[in-house]
Amino acid sequence: MSNQDKDAASDAGEPDAPDQAGTRREPSIAAADEAVLSREKSAAVRENAAHAREGEARIREASATLREWDLRSDETQAASDDRISRLQQANEHLVIATLEASVMAEEIQAAKDKLEYLVHYDTLTGLPNRALLQDRLGQAIELARRQGRQLALMFMDLDQFKHVNDSLGHPMGDQLLQSVAQRLVGCVRQSDTVSRQGGDEFVLLLPYIEHAEDAALSAQKVLAALAPPHHLDEHDLHIGASIGISIYPNDGRDAETLIKCADTAMYDAKESGRNTYKFFEPRMNAQAVQRQSIEASLRLALERQEFVLHYQPKIDLQRGTTTGVEALIRWQHPQRGLLAPAQFVPIAEDCGLILPIGRWVLREACNQAQAWLQAGLPPITISVNASTPEFHAVDYPENVGAALEAAHLEPRYLELDLTESVLMRDVASTESVLHALADLGVKLAVDDFGTGYSSLSYLRKYPIDTLKIDQSFVNRMLGNADDAAIVSAVISLAKSLRLRVIAEGVETFEQVQFLRARHCDEAQGYYFGRPVAAEALATLLQAGTAH
Amino acid sequence: METPDQVRHHIIDSLMARHPEGADAAIVLWEKLATEVISVVGEGGFDSLYARSVFLSQPRFPWLAAGSSSPQAAHRFAPLKTSLAAQTPVQASEANRLLLTTFTDIVASLIGETLTTGILRSAWAMSQRTRTARS
Repeated sequence: MSNQDKDAASDAGEPDAPDQAGTRREPSIAAADEAVLSREKSAAVRENAAHAREGEARIREASATLREWDLRSDETQAASDDRISRLQQANEHLVIATLEASVMAEEIQAAKDKLEYLVHYDTLTGLPNRALLQDRLGQAIELARRQGRQLALMFMDLDQFKHVNDSLGHPMGDQLLQSVAQRLVGCVRQSDTVSRQGGDEFVLLLPYIEHAEDAALSAQKVLAALAPPHHLDEHDLHIGASIGISIYPNDGRDAETLIKCADTAMYDAKESGRNTYKFFEPRMNAQAVQRQSIEASLRLALERQEFVLHYQPKIDLQRGTTTGVEALIRWQHPQRGLLAPAQFVPIAEDCGLILPIGRWVLREACNQAQAWLQAGLPPITISVNASTPEFHAVDYPENVGAALEAAHLEPRYLELDLTESVLMRDVASTESVLHALADLGVKLAVDDFGTGYSSLSYLRKYPIDTLKIDQSFVNRMLGNADDAAIVSAVISLAKSLRLRVIAEGVETFEQVQFLRARHCDEAQGYYFGRPVAAEALATLLQAGTAH
Repeated sequence: METPDQVRHHIIDSLMARHPEGADAAIVLWEKLATEVISVVGEGGFDSLYARSVFLSQPRFPWLAAGSSSPQAAHRFAPLKTSLAAQTPVQASEANRLLLTTFTDIVASLIGETLTTGILRSAWAMSQRTRTARS
């Protein structure tokens, strides 16, 4: 028996041990049996070992699989987290982009709304503009036609608004327009349209009226609403308006005609003393035509040399001598005769012809002054009025210098008369122009003093030589204590500021006495002499007329 | 029958009624809401929604401060807290109600009422039953 067999036998059990049935076998048989048994045991042992190894291998495999599953699970979680993060980012971008698109759409809509507003509304007052009025007027006319009704159109222009604009500046003028617009809106019905045409012109559309008198009542309400002063900054501004009214269908059946008729009636209201209203009448068309005719003729008048200057003397009240003359323009109209400034200067201002006319006056006055000097007449100062457009033209000082140079006239013989409204507009630029003129050597006077708005500090600051008391105060000073006080105060003011003072519009000896008693330097007016042609004035100067 | 947006507005109303007035309480609501919304649309998305909500609420409450320029999320509601604290409790509460309503209106317009309402309930721990009972 080999050691291996022994081992197998020992592994299988005792060799002589009874079998399972408890029988004891013979030794040879038992040996054979033992050999067989030993082989079987060995086979079983090997099989068991193999099973054990197989089991271990399966366990190892299962562990590997579990580890792999864990690994895969981690990877899946990471992938899932990554997807969520990407979704979150995508959502973030979508939200931001959507909101930005929304904001952009709102901005585009706001821009469209603003554009729409600008097309149809006046930005200063917020009122409908000319275009929107035309639209509403067209619709109102069509409705009135279908319903067989009337409608009214009121064309309104503020009185003397230019004066406010010129004297207090455009910002104040703009505030006044806004205030007027508010009052207009406050005194019409919801169905009416108040529009601003531009400048100081407003048009009111009253689409529902029973009678023309209804429009008159509305006009009265408008005038009453505008009557109280406008409190703007530190100013209490009074402004009136002239209103022209046209009625559909009597005065016109289309928008253009109705506006034109109302505009024409408005001019008639202005000529009737302002701050009133007028219904359109056919005769007004003739006047409007005449105005247009004057405008057309004015354009030719310069070329045809139809303008002439007349001269009114200024007298030294203490000595009685003529110290100077004021040059006043007249228009020798070929058909209508000699026209006063009031008949054409406003039209010239409206159509821009005042600039070339003003330059002509300046040159002509300088030439005349030089001609009198050369004729051996006593040297005098010649005064020329400067209108607002002229004074604020960029080349005004150059024009003055050129006129003096062309006439070879010494600047000290020329005096420029400027109204308060000219001086108080755009103070910085005014001061610069005034100093440029003063540097030339010409004299500067404030004309119509007391009728406009003046700042005394500016009067002191500006290189002014003379104050001219407005004739309205002089006319009333003997019968009205207030006017007398104003005249006395202006004379005192001029003396305090070391300015010469001239009283305008002096017509009586009593007025002269009053002024002399208060040491007024000079005076001019019908008492001393009406404006006369150059030749007539030369005669007066030669005669040395004294008063 | 309430419309979905009315339901959502009621959620906000009941929440405002349950919570004490004051800037601190308002900020707690916003922080909870921010956590939920940020999990869906990220920090940038939330900030954009919030800034838009403040902008749209400012015409009624001009004193409402815009979002913080601080990059730190913790300071996101500091300007809101300051501006609410400067008002009377009633004013602050009204402004916060409008701000929340506006914010959720925008969210709802982007992702729908159902999702929005779900986010609100989740943020403020409100059960469906509670909401339904109140509504």
